[in-house]
Amino acid sequence: MIGFMSAMVEAWQELRINKVRILLALLGVALSVAALTSVVGVGNLAREGFKASSERNGGRSATLGLGVNGPTQPDPARLDAAYQSIVDRYGIAFSTHEGHAEQPFQFPRGVQPVQLMVVDPGYEVIHRLELQQGSWFASDDEQRLAPAVVVSEAFYNAAGRPNLALQPGIKTAGEQESNAVIIGVVPDTWPDAPPAAYILSGAARQMGVNQLGGQFKVWVPDAQAEMLSAAIQADLAQQFPEMHIMAQRMDFAAQGDPLAPVQLVVGGIAGLVLLLGAVGMLNISMVTVRYRVREIGIRRSFGATSGRIFLGVMMESVVATAVAGLAGVMVAVAVVKHPWIQSKVAPALSQYPPFPIEAAMLGFGAAVLVGALAGAIPALVAVRVKVIDAIRF
Amino acid sequence: MDSLVSLRGVTRTVVLPDEQKLHILRGIDLEISAGDHTAIIGRSGCGKSTLLNLLGLLDVPTSGELRFVGTPVLQLRGNARARLRGSTVGFVFQQFNLLPGRSALDNVITPLLYARGRDFLRRRELAMDMLDRVGLAGRARTMPNMLSGGEQQRVAIARALVRRPRLILADEPTGALDVETGQLVMALLDEVATESAAALVTITHDSNVAALARSRYRLDAGVLQPTDGLTPSEPAPPESELSEPVASEPDSSEVLP
Repeated sequence: MIGFMSAMVEAWQELRINKVRILLALLGVALSVAALTSVVGVGNLAREGFKASSERNGGRSATLGLGVNGPTQPDPARLDAAYQSIVDRYGIAFSTHEGHAEQPFQFPRGVQPVQLMVVDPGYEVIHRLELQQGSWFASDDEQRLAPAVVVSEAFYNAAGRPNLALQPGIKTAGEQESNAVIIGVVPDTWPDAPPAAYILSGAARQMGVNQLGGQFKVWVPDAQAEMLSAAIQADLAQQFPEMHIMAQRMDFAAQGDPLAPVQLVVGGIAGLVLLLGAVGMLNISMVTVRYRVREIGIRRSFGATSGRIFLGVMMESVVATAVAGLAGVMVAVAVVKHPWIQSKVAPALSQYPPFPIEAAMLGFGAAVLVGALAGAIPALVAVRVKVIDAIRF
Repeated sequence: MDSLVSLRGVTRTVVLPDEQKLHILRGIDLEISAGDHTAIIGRSGCGKSTLLNLLGLLDVPTSGELRFVGTPVLQLRGNARARLRGSTVGFVFQQFNLLPGRSALDNVITPLLYARGRDFLRRRELAMDMLDRVGLAGRARTMPNMLSGGEQQRVAIARALVRRPRLILADEPTGALDVETGQLVMALLDEVATESAAALVTITHDSNVAALARSRYRLDAGVLQPTDGLTPSEPAPPESELSEPVASEPDSSEVLP
C-alpha cells in the first residue's frame, strides 16, 4: 500500500514539474475522452427520447396489435367479445382499443376538424402518456352523459385554455352535435401538430363517431410476446375463420436499436482519436524516459527497485491520463446536460434522464487504459536502464 | 567490531566487444565496519568507481566473496539488493546529482519515497530535520540551480543521510568544489557520519581529502593496497605507473590534481 502511495506521490511530482509538456500531450486525450463520453451520453439521451416518442406512437415493449380484417368487417360486438375473452384468458392487465376518426369541434374561433383517437383507459399506460394537466380517463368515464375527452395542447389552445377544474365543455360539430367535457391535456405529438383528442371507445359509440379502421392493443411481457402472439392469432383464427388475423408486435423495440449503427460509427471515430492521443502520449513518454536516464539511475541508487521504477513511470502516464479523462468526462457532462442539446436531441422528453454513469465510466476507463498502454513501453525502457551508466549519464 | 562490508578476493572483469577480458578489480580484500572513515585513492580509470559500485550494491563481483551486513551479496536478487541499498547505503556523488526541477526539500525526500512505514509517512518532517542539520533549512524551497556548488553538495549529503544509512559512499565529493568549500563539505560529511556512527567511504583522487580519513587505501590497476603516512601534499601516482590499460570505466572526465 505504502509502495503504491509513494509511486503515486512520485508520479504526481513528475507531472507537476513537467506540467506544460504533459498538458499539451493530454489535450488530445481529454478531447477524445470528451468526444467518446459525449457520444455515449448523447446516444443514451437520443435513445431515451426515441423510446419515449416511439412508446407514445407504438406502445411499450412489448405491445401486440390485434386486428381482424376480411372481405366484410366483422361484427363489432362479436369482435369486442373476442378481444375481451383474450384479455381474460391470458390475464392481460392493460389493453386498449385504438381507432381513428375525424370529428369537427366548435371552437371559439369556429369549427375545426380534430383527429380523434378512440381508446380505452389502458391506452395511457401502454403508450406511457404524460398529462400536462388534468387527468386521464377512469373506467367509469364511459357512463358520463357528456363524454369526457383528453385533448392535445393544440386543441387546448384552440379551446382558449379553459380551467379544467371547472370541467369546461366543448361542442362537437357536424351531423350529431353533442357536448364533451375536457378532463386532461397531453403534449402535442410534434411541434405545430393540428388539434387532437382522445375519447373512450364506449363514449365514441354513443356519440356515433365513425371510426376509420382500428385495432386492439395488449401490453404483454417481453419474454412472452412471441408465444402470446401465436396463441392469440390461433384463438382469433378459430373464432373468425376465413378472415385475415393480425397479432404482431407494434412497439419499436421489436425492430432493434435504430441508433446503434450511428453510435458505433461515431464512437469508433472517437476511439481512433483516443488512439492517436495515446500515440502522442507514448511518444512524449519515450522522449521523457530517455531524458530522465540519470534521474532513474539516482532513484535506483537510493533503493528504488525495478518494480518501483516501472510503476513510477507507468503511473505518471496513468495519473496524467486519468486527470485528462476526468476533465474529458466533465466536458461531456456539460455537453450532454446542456438544455439546448437536450431539447434538440430528445424533444419528446419532458424530463431528461441523469447523465449515464456507464458513459462516464467508459470515458474514464478508456483514459486510464490509454495511460497504462502508453506508460508500459517507456516503463519497460526505464527498467532496463543500467544504474551505473545512468548515474554517470 | 562487526564487519559492515567484507570483501575477500573480489574481482570484477568485463568482456570487451572484441571478446577480450578486461580485469578492472583484482583480488580485493577490504573490511569496513561501523564508524570507519576510509579513503580510497587512485587515479582515473584505476577501478575506484567499480569498487564503489560493488560496495554500494550497484554491481556484483565476478568472483570472490562480498558480504554486506553478513549476507553474501551474490545470494541476493536485484530487488532485494535494491531494498538493502535503500535502507543501508547513502550515496554522495561528485556532480551532486540533484534531481532538476525539484526543490532542495523534494530532493531530500526522494530516498524516503522508497522507505516503508513511518519513514515514508513522516518524509517531509525527516527531510526538513536533515536539511536543518546541514544548515539549509532556510533554503528548503530553493531549486538546485539557484544553490551554490557547496550548498548543492550539502543538499546531496542531507539526501544521502536522510534514511540514516549505515554506510555512506562518497564518490569524489569535493571534485566539483573549490578547495575551501571542499574542506567544509568534507568536515560536514565527517561530522554527520560520526554522529550517526555510519561508516564513511570516500573515493577520491585528491590526497588532501584522503588524508582526512582514518584509514586509507590506494587502488592501482585494480589492486587495493593499504597506504599509511599519506600526507596532504603527496600526489597521486602518475599515469605511467599504470601496469596495463584499464579504460572501460566511464569516469574519464575525472582529472588528476
